[in-house]
Formats: sequence, C-alpha cells, structure tokens
Amino acid sequence: MKPAPFEYVRATQLGDALAALASDDDAKVIAGGQSLVPLMALRLARPALLVDVNDLPLDTVEVANNEVRLGSLVRHVRLERDAVVVRAAPLLAEAAALIGYPAIRNRGTLGGSVAHADPAAELPAALVALDGVVLAEGREGTRRISARDFFEGFLTTVLAPDELVVGVQVPVAAERHGASFREWAPRAGDFAVAGVAVVIELDAGGVCVSLGAAACGVGSTPVDLHEVLTDAGVLGASDVGDSLLRSTAQAAARTARGDDDREQLVGLLTAAALHDAFARARGGDASGTGVAA
Amino acid sequence: MIGARTLRREDPRLLTGRGSYLADHDVPGLCHIALWRSPVAHARIRSIDTAAAAALPGVVAVLTQADLDAAGARPMTHLLPIPGVQPLAWGVLAQEVVRFVGEPLVAVVAASRAIAEDAVDVLVVDYDELPPVVDVHAALEFGAPLLYPEWGTNEFLHLDYATDGLDDALARAPHVRTERFESHRIAALPLEGHGAQASFDPATGTLTVLASQQQPHQLRTVIAEVCSLSEGEVRVIAPDMGGGFGNKQHFTREECLVALLARITGRPVRWSQDRGEGLTASIHSRPQVHDATFGYDDDGRVLALSVRVVSDLGNPVLYFSGVGPSLVTVGALCGGYAIEHHGWSLSCVATTTCPVGGYRGFGQPQSHLTTERVMDLVAADLGIDPAEVRRRNLLPDAPRPFIAHGGARIDVGPLGPQLDQLLDSFQYDAWRERQRAMRDAGRYVGIGLSTLVQGTAPTQYGVAGRGGSYETAIVSVLPDGNVTVAVGSKSQGQSHETVLAQIAAEMLGTTVDRVVVRDGDTALLPNGMGTWGSRTAVMAGGAVRVAAGRVRDKMTAIAAHMGGAPTLEAVAAEAWWHAHRLPAGIEPGLSATVCYTPGRTIPIPDAAGHTSFDETFGSHMTAVAVEVCPATGDVSVLDALLVSDCGVVINPMVVEGQHQGGFAQGLGAVLYEEVRYSDDGQPQCTTLADYTIPTAIEVPRLRVVHRETHSGTEGGFRGVGEAAITAAPAALAGAVADALAPLGVTITSTRLHAHHLRALLRAAGVEPDPAAFAIA
Ligand SMILES: Cc1cc2nc3c(=O)[nH]c(=O)nc-3n(C[C@H](O)[C@H](O)[C@H](O)COP(=O)(O)OP(=O)(O)OC[C@H]3O[C@@H](n4cnc5c(N)ncnc54)[C@H](O)[C@@H]3O)c2cc1C
Repeated sequence: MKPAPFEYVRATQLGDALAALASDDDAKVIAGGQSLVPLMALRLARPALLVDVNDLPLDTVEVANNEVRLGSLVRHVRLERDAVVVRAAPLLAEAAALIGYPAIRNRGTLGGSVAHADPAAELPAALVALDGVVLAEGREGTRRISARDFFEGFLTTVLAPDELVVGVQVPVAAERHGASFREWAPRAGDFAVAGVAVVIELDAGGVCVSLGAAACGVGSTPVDLHEVLTDAGVLGASDVGDSLLRSTAQAAARTARGDDDREQLVGLLTAAALHDAFARARGGDASGTGVAA
Repeated sequence: MIGARTLRREDPRLLTGRGSYLADHDVPGLCHIALWRSPVAHARIRSIDTAAAAALPGVVAVLTQADLDAAGARPMTHLLPIPGVQPLAWGVLAQEVVRFVGEPLVAVVAASRAIAEDAVDVLVVDYDELPPVVDVHAALEFGAPLLYPEWGTNEFLHLDYATDGLDDALARAPHVRTERFESHRIAALPLEGHGAQASFDPATGTLTVLASQQQPHQLRTVIAEVCSLSEGEVRVIAPDMGGGFGNKQHFTREECLVALLARITGRPVRWSQDRGEGLTASIHSRPQVHDATFGYDDDGRVLALSVRVVSDLGNPVLYFSGVGPSLVTVGALCGGYAIEHHGWSLSCVATTTCPVGGYRGFGQPQSHLTTERVMDLVAADLGIDPAEVRRRNLLPDAPRPFIAHGGARIDVGPLGPQLDQLLDSFQYDAWRERQRAMRDAGRYVGIGLSTLVQGTAPTQYGVAGRGGSYETAIVSVLPDGNVTVAVGSKSQGQSHETVLAQIAAEMLGTTVDRVVVRDGDTALLPNGMGTWGSRTAVMAGGAVRVAAGRVRDKMTAIAAHMGGAPTLEAVAAEAWWHAHRLPAGIEPGLSATVCYTPGRTIPIPDAAGHTSFDETFGSHMTAVAVEVCPATGDVSVLDALLVSDCGVVINPMVVEGQHQGGFAQGLGAVLYEEVRYSDDGQPQCTTLADYTIPTAIEVPRLRVVHRETHSGTEGGFRGVGEAAITAAPAALAGAVADALAPLGVTITSTRLHAHHLRALLRAAGVEPDPAAFAIA
C-alpha cells in the first residue's frame, strides 16, 4: 500500500496550476487527498505528476445576486458549519455532515468531491438536486456547467483533463425553503448504500412551487429525481400525506430497478426526505441542523 | 490487592503514544520486504522473471523458494498430531502452485517498502490458472478440482464421534428437528497488523527476531527449525502489541521469511503487514456449516444432539490451521447443557481461499451458536420460555467436575443460581412485558440469551503434539526491595502488567507500584507458552503466585532469623548483600523460577478413552434486548448484561474491559463484518472500506455483574478473555430471531447485517411502508 513514484508541484497561482496540469498527460490535481491518496496507495491511480492546489485562494463562500458561490477548496467541515452556508444552502450543509467522519471532513474539499464524481457521494447528488452549476477553469477560460450535465459516469465527468473545478454555484434558499438529505449506510460515516436529497419551496399559501431531488448510490452518476417527484404530484401539493409519500416513494424506487435492496432503500429514503423537507419548509427551519432560516 | 480496581499500569505509556510497537524499531541499514502475492485463487507457476525487479535502484535481493532452499530453509508443517490428517508441508514461499489470492511467491528486499513494492510491480510471473475451489460443499463433491491431488480429496481431516444409542435416542424422541446453522467468515483484524523484523549478528551467531507474536518462545522453536539453527542461537522479542486475538498466535511464513532473509542478505529486514495483506493474506476465521439434528421431549429437555460440522480451512498452510478451532467446536457442542446422547462428524475442508485459523473464541462461537439456537428453537416450538428451557437443560449443580461427553472435566459453579442472577439483574420479566407493549406499538423487539460454559487454559498438545499446559514465571525481589516478574505469556493489551503485579504484590505484601512485569522476550525465561486460550490469569497468574509464594516463604525464614520485624527492604538487602549471615541451608538471593501447571488436562486419550483439554471452565450468562427496524434491517441494542463467573476476580475493571471488548468483536462479527469471496476466489474485502468493523459509535455498553466461584487452581482463577466474543453472536442471533419471529423470519446464521436482514424480510414478504418510515 505505497503509491507508485510520482512528481509533485504545489501551485500558488491558478495559471501555474493549469499550466502544470497541461504539461503532463498523467498529471492530476490533489486537493484534500481523501479520495486520491487511497487510490494511489492501492496503486489504482498512478499519476505521474501531482498538482497541489491547496495554496490557491479558493476556500471562499460568497453570496451575490441570489446565488451562493463556493470555492472548490471549501472543506466539508466548512460546508457543514459555516453560518452562511447553513442559511443559504442548507442542503449542502446537511449533505457535508454525512460525509465520512470529522478527520475526512477536515481535509476533503467540495471541488474534490465534485471532480471525483463518486456515485455514492453526497455532494454531487445535492448539487443536482439544487440544480447547481459547476465552475470549471481551463486555459481557454471559465465554463459554467450545469450539475445535471456534469456527471458522465462512474468517477467520470465532462471536465477536461487540464481543467480545474474552481467552484460551484447554487441558488440561495428562499424563505419557505425545505431541504433534507437522508441516507442509509451500514455504519455512521460510511459511504451511503443509497441516499436521497430533496429540496422544495412553498409559496405563501403552503403550496410546493419548486422542487429538486436526486439520489446517490444508485446509478453510475447522481440520479436526478426532479421529474419523478414532479410527475408523482409533489409540485403543486400543499401537503404530503401518506398516500403521496407512498406513491412518490414507489416512483422513485423504480430508478433502482434490478437491485431489490436499493429499490427498497430509495423508496424509504425518498419518503423520509420528502416528509422532512415539507416539515422544514413549513416550520421555517430549512435544515436538519437546527438553524432557523 | 486481588479484587481491587487498580488502574492499568501500562496505560500511561500506551495511551500517550509511548508504546513501542514492531514498526518503532528502526535500526541502521534496515531493509523492508514486499511480497509478490498470487492475484488468482489457483494457478500453476510456469516461470518467474526477477531481472527487472532486481535491477531497480534500492533493491537488495529478489528471492524465490528455490533461493531459500539453497540457503538451507526447511519446510513448515501443521504439526497436527491427529491420526488420519492429511500430510502437508509447505515452503516459506509457495512453489509451483499457488492456492489462494495473496499466497506469497516472491520476496523483494529493498531499502524501503515503497521501493520493494515498485519491484514487485515489475516482476514477471507467468502462470496457468487452475480451477478455483471456493464453496466448501462443492469442494467435497465428487470430481471437484483438488488443491492437493495427492490426497485424492479436499477433505483434510474427517472425524466422527457418537455416544452409544444416539440413533435410538433420536428415533425415540417425541420431537425431532434438523436445522442448518452457519457461521460466516471474518477476520480478527488487530489494530496493529502482523509484522516481524530480524537481524543476524555474525559475531555471536545470534539471530534476533522481533515479532508481533503471542507466543514468542514457540516462534523461537519454529524459526530454529525452519532456519536450521539451535534454539540458543535464536532470540525472539515481542514488543508492545496492538492486539493479537489469535491472529498472531500462528507462526507465519512471513516471520520465518524475515529470519531467513536476515541471514541470507546479512541485513536487518522488516516485514510490516499492510491492511490489504491483513485482510486477504493473513488468517481468517469461523467459516463453518452445522447440520444439527436434535430430539427433545414435551418439557423442552433436549435428549439427543447430533451435528455434522463442515469447516472451511482455506488453504491449510498454517500451523494447526483451522483444524485447531474446529476440534474445539465439536468438543463444545453441548456447551453448558447435560444432553444425554450426542454425536458429531467433523469435515475439515481445503479451499483456495486464505488460510483459516484462530481468532479469540477459537471455534466456540460456532458451537455456541448452534447450541443456543437449538435451545431457542425448542422453546419456540413448545411455547416454553427460552430461559426456562435453558434451566431444564443446564448441567446439574452437582457433582463437580461434571464429566462431559468425551471426558471434559467441567468444574464450573452452580449454574441454576447464576441463571437466576442473570434474569434478576437483567430484569428479564420486565423486559418481556416491555417487549409485548412495544410489539403492540409495531416495534420489533427481541430478547436473546446465552448461557455459556467455556473451557479455558487449554493444553496445546491436542493440536500441536507439543506445548504442555504450563507457564513459566520468575519472581525476584531485588536488593532494594523492588520486585520483578518475568512471564512467558505475552500481553497484547490485556493488562498483564497490572494483574500479574497485583498477584505478586499481594503474595509478597508489597504494593503494585513496586512490581515491574516483563514479558515477550525469550531471553527472560527458558520457555513459555504465550497468551491465548484465556490462559494467562490461570497459568501465568498461577505461576507468579507460586513463585512469589516461594520467595515470600524464604523471606519469612530470613526475617525470623534476623529477629524483630524487619521490613521487606531489610530482608531483601540481607538476602542479597549479607549472604554470610543467612540461616543454614538458605541460598543467597530472593528469586524463584516456576513452571506451573494445574495438571488437570488429559491431552491424549486415557484408558476410558477420555480427553480433557481445559484446565478449568468459566461460566458466563448473557441477556440482550434489541430492536430491529423492519424497514432498514438496522439492529439497535437496547440493553446487554453479562453475569460473569471467571473465578477469583483479580481486577474487576480489567474483567469488565475484557467482556466489553469481546462483546464489541462479537457484535461486529454478526452485525458488520464479513469476509466475502467471489465465485472465482477473489477476495471482496481488501480495505477497511469493504471490511466494516464497528466503531465506538456502533458499540453499546455491556453491563457486567460478577460472581466468583473458586476454580481450585492456584489462586482460583478461571480465565475470561473469550467469553463475551463467544456469547455475543449467539445472544444477538437469538434476540434478532425473537424480534423478527412475528414477521415470519427465522435466523439460522451469524449474518445479521442490516442488508442480510432486509433480504430475509423481503423473502418473507415483508414490505416496509415508506410513509410510516418517513414519519418515524
Ligand atoms: C474513510 C473515508 C470515508 C469517506 N466517506 C465519504 C462519504 O461518506 N461520502 C463522500 O462523498 N465522500 C467520502 N469520502 C471522500 C471524501 O469526501 C473526499 O474528500 C472527496 O471525495 C474528494 O475530495 P478531496 O478534496 O479529498 O479530493 P482529492 O482526493 O484530492 O481528489 C479527488 C479527485 O478529484 C480531483 N480533483 C480534486 N480537486 C479538483 C479540482 N479542484 N479540480 C479538478 N479535479 C480535482 C483529483 O485529481 C482526484 O482525481 C471519504 C473518504 C474517506 C477516506
């Protein structure tokens, strides 16, 4: 469990990082190292050159124009605890809190999780549910890529090998916003066998006017459940009674067809997340973290 | 002193990071080993090309078994002294054929482990794959591919036993039932992986081997044999150990390899097992399938129990291999119950998987699962409370020893009162009430019981043909009155520095802080048996007690001669510094060496055909209450209590720690851990992301209540280390079965992991309601 030999550079300028990435076909970015280093130790990843981006000024949280913009070096622990994130993007805070355990969250980064594209990871699913945007920087400039288009397959994205994720952008949570991320894992801190994120927004009359949802652990990428929940009648609903919970669960479960166990879990977790999201949107407590919006 | 909650004397060192483990022993010029291990389950090797590997900068040597042979290496053997066992000897490295993923074939010695792994990467090994043998029942089928064609079978050992009249008793029993119970494969996984380091001093001709090893003296013997050295030329030191759990009880190829490589290369060399090696190429445990047929009467008395045990050994290239635990399994099938007619057949089977061997509990969790499930099924069938069924079947309270089938001399205290104490302390009746109420509210709560009678301090003779039932101790009062204790049993974290000091201090009338306990070095003592089999309190504790008693008697004689009431320091000074004044016939000095044995075992059959492998027995009764979520399959432990009789309690805190730790491992085994193989013999658990052990979050507290029944061995100890790990799987299986019974699910294996329970629930037609789950 020792990595194969590799070269290492630590970039202090974005331009240097991009140049270094372009200099070697087998170059790889290292951010928190929480996914890459284990793969290297198992020699499943053998980058020739590691480009360390930790000195770039990308540990940033900004709110502007009704958007939250998060730099790619924001650590999971910051997502989990930062008062701005908790208020403006409670789903990301809740999702981050479900990642690994504290030692992992202290190092792992938002950009790393997104670029790594593990189908079981929470943050990619949360971004899809939020209809967020991934900001990618290449030598030709910045690309804004919808999270719904970003993930291509198991550990693969549309990112070019010499592009860097510099941040993500999600809409600021509205007043009657409710978010919930529910997952099942064998132990606290394990990768989820399945997880479901739901975000909704209610109008003043308590009717669901906007929703997003996605599952992790199910396919080779986050599974967008927006359409499934819309078709099930969540959009326009003013309450989630037992029958809506059941029919939505059943519809969502179908996305995991062929895997009885995940089918069961996705159904259960969808119902639970949906129920939580409604309760939180109504109660004014948008997150599970107990911080009022 | 005895019975005091003395704080662990090793803790300040171990808990502040000042322990000194194997990999803390860097020496100048140290080289590291990495191994080319088979990537396939079964293959015939055609050629090995080491040129590219040997040419890498930093590589010192690349060796195969042929090189080791040329250096005089001798083969390793299982040592099993059992008639009918297949002959088997193997090289330190494999040769010609590899028989499990992970079997070592080529060793690289290099300046660092990373370089050694780079070299392994560029080794070219050409092989023809042979058919894998993974499923233990398929392995026994006619025409199955054979691991060792010269045997003509994959069955490594077959044994049968039955009391006269077993078949009759089963035929006449009012009720007869047959069930299959399965214990799945797990790994012991000590926090510190295995490792060994060797250096050879040509000036003195001494080979010094550091090994994370539970039995340093016996490793010395094995290394001397394999390296063609005398025992006087080999010194084995076991430094601080981050756990062993039986995983470090076997003498491994790698330990012998470092010894050979140190001699061949002339350089100090270290092999430090990494987690991947630990999970795939070390030692696995437990895989057994039991087909139990049991007959019982209308009162729930079990009249006859017959069990066919099929035990998966993996590739049995391991000292005593999985046969050792399997023999313990069949010997313990009646547990603490008086079952008049009994029989078993044991089939130990070779498969192309990692060798199976010892893990804390050593065959007993498997037998205990079967015994306790039998009691529960009888209870359920007859509608009698499972505690009551146990009471009716427990060994009678007299006589002692109770002579079990086969001859085991069971010397436990009265079991009826212990069961009463369990039910009372656990508030069993109140729990049954609560269970009913919770069930009415749609919650699936179950209660599980385990009444464990467990042999401890066994002789190793039955599985190794050597290794007496004794332990060695040297107790010395130094000239300044401080005390040293040296023992042959090696601590892996079990508090020996504390409890053995308590025993010595009590005997010598001094305080624990004036006693230093040393272990893990063959230079300390001529021979020793090591730590395993819940033996240290009984055997090393007994030896320390006898030795300290001898020193005390001598001090008493010297003190009488001195007159007045001299202090311990004065007597010590007298004995060492003023020898000319000692009474006639008294040797100078204050030191005693003792090889203690209670002498109660019968390692080879006596005239009555009896064997009895254990010096004494403990009795441990456990109750657990669990709730199972029928939607997710999650099991939560609501309460767990163990009434422990390990004889005289040296330190209640240490006993509670042993039970808590064993419970954590037993719970982990059934709720979280499983070593899985694909059909082609590829291990599916190669990192701790796939092999999920419980963390502190998942481990509930176990309440412990003490009872003390003197064992009649020196000091009255009975041993404690393997009780809770044996009890937990059976008790939890019983509790989960009880919880899910209303849903039509039956539990017949140790696979109580949430995903397995979900599958069982689905198979039983249980469809969880998402709405109810959401609102809960
Ligand atoms: C024990 C353990 C448990 C874990 N549990 C979970 C869990 O439950 N859920 C979960 O989601 N994750 C889990 N993780 C993974 C963790 O979240 C990682 O932090 C995350 O997946 C990757 O982030 P990182 O910053 O560590 O990336 P790194 O490991 O540094 O990099 C990962 C990959 O992304 C690339 N990369 C990194 N940053 C960028 C960038 N800015 N632009 C382009 N490419 C980039 C790297 O080249 C590499 O290919 C766990 C990890 C461990 C070790």
